[in-house]
Amino acid sequence: MPAVALCNKDFAIDARSAASGKGMPGLRVVPETVPCECTVTEKIEAGVSAVMDDIVAALTQPLTAEEKSPKPKEVEKLPRIVFKGNLEEVNRFFYKRGWSDGLPIIPPTEETVKEMLTGTDLPAEHVVGKIIPRLGKATVEKIAINAVMAGALPTYMPLLIAGVQALMDPRTYFGIWEVSTGSFAPFWVINGPIRNDLNINSGSGALSPGDIANAAIGRAMGLMIKNIGGARKGVEDMGVLGNPGKYTMVVAENEEESPWEPLHVEQGLSKDDSAVSLFFPSCYSQIWPYGSDDKGILHGVIHNIIPGRRGLFCLMLPPAHASILSDEGWTKKECAAFISEYARVPAYCHPEYYCGGTIGMPVKERVRVNPMDSMSILRSPDLIRVVVAGGPGNLIGLFTGAWNPGTDWVTKRVELPADWDKLVERYRNIVPTYLRY
Amino acid sequence: MNGQYGVLNPWAEADAIPLRGISPRVTDLTGKTIGLFAGNHKIAARPILNVVEERLKERFPPLKFSWFLFGLSLEVTETEEKERFEDWAKGVDAAIAAVGD
Repeated sequence: MPAVALCNKDFAIDARSAASGKGMPGLRVVPETVPCECTVTEKIEAGVSAVMDDIVAALTQPLTAEEKSPKPKEVEKLPRIVFKGNLEEVNRFFYKRGWSDGLPIIPPTEETVKEMLTGTDLPAEHVVGKIIPRLGKATVEKIAINAVMAGALPTYMPLLIAGVQALMDPRTYFGIWEVSTGSFAPFWVINGPIRNDLNINSGSGALSPGDIANAAIGRAMGLMIKNIGGARKGVEDMGVLGNPGKYTMVVAENEEESPWEPLHVEQGLSKDDSAVSLFFPSCYSQIWPYGSDDKGILHGVIHNIIPGRRGLFCLMLPPAHASILSDEGWTKKECAAFISEYARVPAYCHPEYYCGGTIGMPVKERVRVNPMDSMSILRSPDLIRVVVAGGPGNLIGLFTGAWNPGTDWVTKRVELPADWDKLVERYRNIVPTYLRY
Repeated sequence: MNGQYGVLNPWAEADAIPLRGISPRVTDLTGKTIGLFAGNHKIAARPILNVVEERLKERFPPLKFSWFLFGLSLEVTETEEKERFEDWAKGVDAAIAAVGD
């Protein structure tokens, strides 16, 4: 069937990349000037009317030889040692090739990559998976190269491999969120004994810079998404505003001080397993609870969830707040059920009321209701997880994501190499010491 | 800072994707059935195609239109809508898709 795709002119490269990625580089795309997600009739009419000749031509003009039978693009063959230079030159080279995230990298030499590979028993050429959109092969060696660049330690390798496995799980909708205009960023929650082996911060400022593990694990995953998966900002990744969480967003759950079972146990693993859990929030916000009892904490949560996103959700509670709730008899599941039931807004504040429902919404959610009727913000308690992390003080974290059918949190067990304890001993003492002043 | 580093390539290899040509075009739109595919949850997809429909009707009066509304940010052929989509595609002579971006 002859077809043509209309898209905003600034998405034309993205559309052609997507078509090439599906093996159809000749797809005819007509760029137009309708503002993205436009709701103004006059602008839609003007933008479409201006390209009507192009639409007709795209459906009727005979195919060129290249469109009939596209030839594969010549792939640049790069040598194994891709560049030689000093630290600054290596950094400039990687940056100009589009292989870095803008921060300085550690040069991935034969020696540093070899050391990184001591973190796994898998052979360097083993393919953990193919990362979309480019379907680049995530070999253990490519994972190690990107891990070196990010400043990771070899002990992070098992977790990074599990991270790649998590990305490839269709329930994450990684292929959508990684390149979405919504700028979703991967949020990694680490559970089990590996948290302490790697000194992953679950306490004060767990989401702030200052810990190698929290910093380098997320950064390495981000570099892999770019260099193995081929999702480059403004080319394939069309995030409108971007998201600082794409540098890194990693926490460990504070299992020792949590009154509840840890996330990975909720997800079906055993307490002794090490695990990585993942979902893609677009927003992270911090709120003050309305009081220091269970009612104050939960009301602070339900009245501060933005109504614009209605998918996966994470409540990050510091141990003190988790203990207050637990002492009052709340379980993680009961907190989730309460939030799902009582996080509501008047219908006139809900996006579905304003726009009459986007195409994908179930019919019952598209119906305009009385503006003062309440509408739930979150779809289901099943999409909500409670994670215990953070330091002393009176703040709570909310992570808000989106939804597609089958969207879910994904948890993968981390497989450790045979000489794990020895390896951990070698790197365990790499921790910052802050002198008093 | 002045040490020399020979560095490995972080960019992954990927298997070549088999390429396909696009379908032959129609010679003229007159009397054809045009498929309008709103393929995203984004709100502008449908009104963009509404305008396309109006403009084409003005230029090629006997045209027929067949709509397919798919409201998710997914590939329709990877969902349970696949069969319905394929049936719809068989019934149109040419198709115009919009996603709202």
